[in-house]
Amino acid sequence: MKNLFKLSYLAVALSVLSCTNDLNTVPKDDDLFLSDDFFATEASYKQGLAGVYGNLSLTGTTGAGSSNISGIDAGTSQYGRCLWYMQDLSTDEVIWSYENDPGTADIQRTNWTASNPIFRGMYGRAMFQVALVNEYLRQTTDEKLNSRGVSAATKANVQKYRAEVRVLRALAYYHIMDMFGKAAFVTENDPVGDYRGPQYDRQQLFNFIQSELLALENDSNLANARANEFGRADKGLAWMILAKMYLNNQSYFGVAKYNECVTYCNKIVAGGYSLATSYRHNFMADSNTNSAKNEIIFPIQSDGRTTQNYGPTTVIINGEVGSIEGNGAYLGVGGWGGALRVRKEFGDKFADASFANDARKTLITAGRNPIITTISDRDSGYVITKFTNKTSTGANGSDQGFVDTDFPLFRLADVYLMLSECQLRGATGVTATDALGYVNSLRTRANGQTIAAGNLTLDFILDERLRELHWEAHRRQDLIRFGKFTGGSYNWAWKGNGVTGIAIPAFYNLYPLPAESIAANPNLTQNTGY
Amino acid sequence: MKTIYKKLLFLFLLLPFSVLAQSTLSGVVLDKTSGQPLPGVNVVVSGSSKGVATDFDGKFQLSKVVKGDKIVFSFIGFKSETIVYSNQTSISVSLQEDANLLNEVVVQVGYGTVKKKDATGSITTVTTKDFNKGANVTAENLLNGRVAGLSINTSGAPGSGSEIRIRGGASLSASNNPLIVIDGLPVDNNTSVGATSIISSINPATIESITVLKDASATAIYGSRASNGVIIITTKKGGKNLEVEYNFQLGIGKKVNQVSVFSADEYRNIVRVRQNQIVAADPSTGVNLPNLLGTANTNWQDEIYKTAEMVDQSLTVKGSLFNKIPSRLTLGKTYQEGLRLTNQFERNTVGLAMNPSFLKDNLKVRLNANYSNEKNRFADGVEGSAIRFDPTQPVYAPANTNYGGYFEYLATPNGAPITNGPWNPVAQLMQTHDHGTYKRTYGNLELDYKLPFFPQVRAVVNVGYDNSTGDRLKTVDRNSRSAYVNNVLRGVNETQSETKTNRLFDSYLVYNKSFSSLAVEATAGYSYQKFQRESYNSFNVLNPNAEAPDVTTYGDQVLVSFFGRTNLTFKDKYLMTLTYRRDGSSVFSPENRWGNFPSAALAWKLKEESFLKSSKLFSDLKLRLGWGVTGQQEMGDARFLYLEPYSTGNSNSQYVFGTVPYSVAVPNFRNVNIKWEETTTMNVGLDFGFFNNRLTGSVEAFSKVSKNLLSYAAISDGSNFSNAGFQNIGSLSSKGVEVTLNAAIVKSTNFNWNVNFNATKFERRIDELALNSDILTGGIGGGTGGTIQIHSQGYTPNSFYVFKQLYDVNGRPIQGAYADINGDGIVNNSDRYIKYNGDPNMTFGFASNFNYKNLDFSFNMRASLGNHIYNNINSVSAYYSLVQNNTVLGNVPTSVLDTNFIQPGSLGTQSDIYIENASFLRMDNVTLGYSFPKWLDGKASLRISAGVQNAFVLTKYSGLDPEITNNGIDNTIYPRPRTLLFGANIKF
Repeated sequence: MKNLFKLSYLAVALSVLSCTNDLNTVPKDDDLFLSDDFFATEASYKQGLAGVYGNLSLTGTTGAGSSNISGIDAGTSQYGRCLWYMQDLSTDEVIWSYENDPGTADIQRTNWTASNPIFRGMYGRAMFQVALVNEYLRQTTDEKLNSRGVSAATKANVQKYRAEVRVLRALAYYHIMDMFGKAAFVTENDPVGDYRGPQYDRQQLFNFIQSELLALENDSNLANARANEFGRADKGLAWMILAKMYLNNQSYFGVAKYNECVTYCNKIVAGGYSLATSYRHNFMADSNTNSAKNEIIFPIQSDGRTTQNYGPTTVIINGEVGSIEGNGAYLGVGGWGGALRVRKEFGDKFADASFANDARKTLITAGRNPIITTISDRDSGYVITKFTNKTSTGANGSDQGFVDTDFPLFRLADVYLMLSECQLRGATGVTATDALGYVNSLRTRANGQTIAAGNLTLDFILDERLRELHWEAHRRQDLIRFGKFTGGSYNWAWKGNGVTGIAIPAFYNLYPLPAESIAANPNLTQNTGY
Repeated sequence: MKTIYKKLLFLFLLLPFSVLAQSTLSGVVLDKTSGQPLPGVNVVVSGSSKGVATDFDGKFQLSKVVKGDKIVFSFIGFKSETIVYSNQTSISVSLQEDANLLNEVVVQVGYGTVKKKDATGSITTVTTKDFNKGANVTAENLLNGRVAGLSINTSGAPGSGSEIRIRGGASLSASNNPLIVIDGLPVDNNTSVGATSIISSINPATIESITVLKDASATAIYGSRASNGVIIITTKKGGKNLEVEYNFQLGIGKKVNQVSVFSADEYRNIVRVRQNQIVAADPSTGVNLPNLLGTANTNWQDEIYKTAEMVDQSLTVKGSLFNKIPSRLTLGKTYQEGLRLTNQFERNTVGLAMNPSFLKDNLKVRLNANYSNEKNRFADGVEGSAIRFDPTQPVYAPANTNYGGYFEYLATPNGAPITNGPWNPVAQLMQTHDHGTYKRTYGNLELDYKLPFFPQVRAVVNVGYDNSTGDRLKTVDRNSRSAYVNNVLRGVNETQSETKTNRLFDSYLVYNKSFSSLAVEATAGYSYQKFQRESYNSFNVLNPNAEAPDVTTYGDQVLVSFFGRTNLTFKDKYLMTLTYRRDGSSVFSPENRWGNFPSAALAWKLKEESFLKSSKLFSDLKLRLGWGVTGQQEMGDARFLYLEPYSTGNSNSQYVFGTVPYSVAVPNFRNVNIKWEETTTMNVGLDFGFFNNRLTGSVEAFSKVSKNLLSYAAISDGSNFSNAGFQNIGSLSSKGVEVTLNAAIVKSTNFNWNVNFNATKFERRIDELALNSDILTGGIGGGTGGTIQIHSQGYTPNSFYVFKQLYDVNGRPIQGAYADINGDGIVNNSDRYIKYNGDPNMTFGFASNFNYKNLDFSFNMRASLGNHIYNNINSVSAYYSLVQNNTVLGNVPTSVLDTNFIQPGSLGTQSDIYIENASFLRMDNVTLGYSFPKWLDGKASLRISAGVQNAFVLTKYSGLDPEITNNGIDNTIYPRPRTLLFGANIKF
């Protein structure tokens, strides 16, 4: 008995060293925090804001090769890049040579399926944006700010930040609404984890975005157009999203809202924007400081040093470098050996001699057959040099791989063409003279030939939008609005996987929701046809 | 004590020697059947405390023996022999094997040992004498091919680590690496900065045995980290007698074969063929490829390699320190070159073991202290560019002074490089200086105390420590093409370092008591382990756009465990083992962090039953049944999932407001419910011995089911801070059969032949996937983000997911034509199907050891049947159009002659034509040795040997080597050299 006692004493002595409290480990790294520790400093609110904005440019926190979403290559998952693939690569504007990059072949041959990783990237990235905004709104409630003893000055700033992130959420839902036509609806009032948001259809999403933006338009916390710091949202961005939605309301829902579109376009025009002195300034490494800063309503940032990403401008500029031309030095990049070329129909839009000196025509045609019969043959098809990693003074960007050039998500020239289009579609609030003036102001700016009033038709507008706005992620939406994306009224090279183009069914006007997203959220249903 | 000793000594000196007739007896102890020397035999003078043990050559020296002394020779597994000393100066004693005692081998089971004959779980131990011969620079290769169910896949790089799998692994997204325990210390499974692998720091010469625990009844004592099996490495103990052993091995390795591409002359023809194709397609083309041809004849796959030399030396001294502390000191020095130019591995090790006993042997102390200093020069793979580089271009171009005299594609003479040109692979290797050092100190101190007041109980405390520092400095010459960044020849200067610490504290009590027919052993204990890690990376300081230098401090990983085990033996026939472990891990939330891992095993020694006891046929027969639950917590870098972590961006991940860049802050994916993955294993085994154990072996069958898989799976978009993350969903099962046979085919005084054969068959299946949603895996070269594999319900993980190639009537593949599997009239992503996977259907190991007098000959072979490989080299390169590489030329694999493919097309890289059967038979090693047992007038023994490592491989696989990791995706590998070996082993 005595021995047993000694034994148990020993057992206790041995296990007294047990330290189960050590199991509560916490982050120690200077780049990793728990949320409450992170928001312990007042500066963190702006850093958190940068996190929400940053999702438009960055794919992760540890450089261009990192990603906070999966199911897609990290660099390819960049917001603007997925957007660009889905709005431009699916059209007559461009061909991607490396079809073994998953998802690209399906998109450019318009025979995609719900398993396309780029769709998963777009939907996942945009919904991640929604989640980031919701989290930011949760972390910056009055209750939270008071409990952390945040100063009055910071509180006032945070109110501005909150207004801005709501614009970004509306932007993300706008992109999803336009491309997928439905989404899981999640707000800051829903829990984090595996919450399965209800499915909102296109109209519900439209209504939500509209109500948010209409409220923000009248919210003094959202800066007036051009009154905010570079890189931050203002009323100009809110108006632009509204204008875009109203412009496409007819194609979305069969109800014309061109008058509303004009209302918001006019607000932008009156908002103090002006065209860049040179067309090409918009697509240069210093578009944030040259004359384009007056034209660009909202950019997707890129910087060779601070904001490295495989976003649309890095892809476009490296991709523009021709396989034959090897013109990387001219564009300020190393280049990707002829990744991008234009389709024959694109070249046709500039074929007329009147475009000879038009700055918007950057085609290289020498030694190239405009017809692409084999997509992987990078020597066929024209190439262009619209975007560049050179500054307006001819200097190189800071890096030859990751460009400094921002992607002009929205710019004034687009607004001009929208106004002209609305006028032609019978909207009030814009005169025929204005409509012609807008078109010709763009042509004059580009050293192109102006047109006569008689030439200003809707078909002209569609072509002119390509000439002015190609590779700026508008083309698919435009073709759909003009009824030319699906069906056979306009076939371009490789549409429907045919060398000269084949008609495709109307259901391709909407992209399928990613199969994984439906699996993960059974509230979602697949779009018709997929 | 000391004075008494001196007095005695003085007395002895006074006594004339003749009076006592005291002298020294030396001799050798041999195995009666084989005639081989027996090391470790106890030689004692009956009735006294005088005694020694035989050395590795079976030799002993017993001093101060007196005529008439009875000298007893005893050894586990042999019948004891007694002789009466009659002034012989040397004798030779032969011991007869005792079949009944043969199984008295002791195996490690974690927190203790059991006799092999009493083992209830699926456990295989390989000891020094059975280790593989040949060049085994890293420890795991000592038993490659020797254990059924264990696969070891080592790359050709010097000092390289291996992919180790026990029964294929039990996880999907989490780790499939087994837990490695060195002298009771579980070690971290991540390769450190500066090192080549996690166990490259161990000198294999210090290892006494390696035990592989395969089923859950054996591994569950290690609980949460045991789902993929456990490998227990035990180092050699100290010895009582002075023994010196020196081992020397010299190796000369050469490239065996190469990826089949065109030679310079063949290539000139192919370029013309391609030119004709281009002209045929477009007669107006201005392209003229033959103009781009050079005049050289270069085999780039020869140029990037060299002869790989190896020198491996180890010196072990054993003896009793201060006559009290049995000790061992092992010094090791290994130098191994890789085939790749500049690549080398150097390791200097010191290993010290002491195992004294105190307090009348009640307190046993075991100390193991190891120090290792690794120096590596790393060489990144350039195989891909060597395969593609134009063979008509030279390696050197003296005029390129700005590029170190190497040939490079330049836009102007000695000026800027061309856009998108390939880089000279030889220059890349030669102009990169990537040096790593890795210093590691590890070991343990074990105190095993038999309680004087309660002699049935032992208290054991084991303290382990593993600390390492790694540094790596990579510089690239300024005059190097690869250093041309942002229009400037900048060079590279990048420093990395890492410090890791792993501390262990175990304490447990062992209760041992035999009742009349019941023997009980019970163990109960506590374990605490903490892992800490910090690393630094400067990134390329010569590139202003590179990421800013950063220190990464990993959160501590802590594991607190309570464990217990009971072994019950009834009538020495019926055995039962029950184990239980409760693990708490810092990886999970307080609500989910505790996991319970029980196991039970039953064994029935049929041989002890009356109906078999007298059987001449059966010398052993034991049936084992085991069941157990083990866990898994390894999720790589996913940290603090259950909390609310935020990450901030590095210097390249900022967003600009105004003109000021702000480091972004984003919340990370969270899962408050994350918990253990659990694997339940059933195992049934039969151990048998026939003909007096001339033929022994076992047959095992197992079934494993892993549930609550730590799956990296999609999550409802918008609800979390990613679209996917670790969740406990899904299940994976594996079933298998293993057979092991050991046979002494010939057993006689001069001639012995032993063989070991094992065969393994297992199959892994995904039973349930998260959301029933397939997951694409298996990233491939060619294309950004391309994949070739899939996790799909009902299939093996990482099955190949491909398009079905169509063939013409002549059986030639049709370029770009694939089956419309779903019949919707469109061939697109929905038409991929699952075909094969990288897992073998069966694997085999065969080892043979043959002795004739002083000559020995041994070899070991491995075979794998039904493993498939995706030939990623052919799938991205074997096309005529790739003869043109942008503005220059590029070589292509000769398999293009078989397919005649011109373009890969949009789906071509995923054609099933690139899935190949990679079954193989490999001769790992052949060694011929000759021993001089009485070298230097009997003062020493010498064995010299010669052998070939990686002697040959038989396979139909068209690539370089059918044995690859990466789940069967072959996108160039580090080739394994064929090495000629010369060795010498000297013992004093």
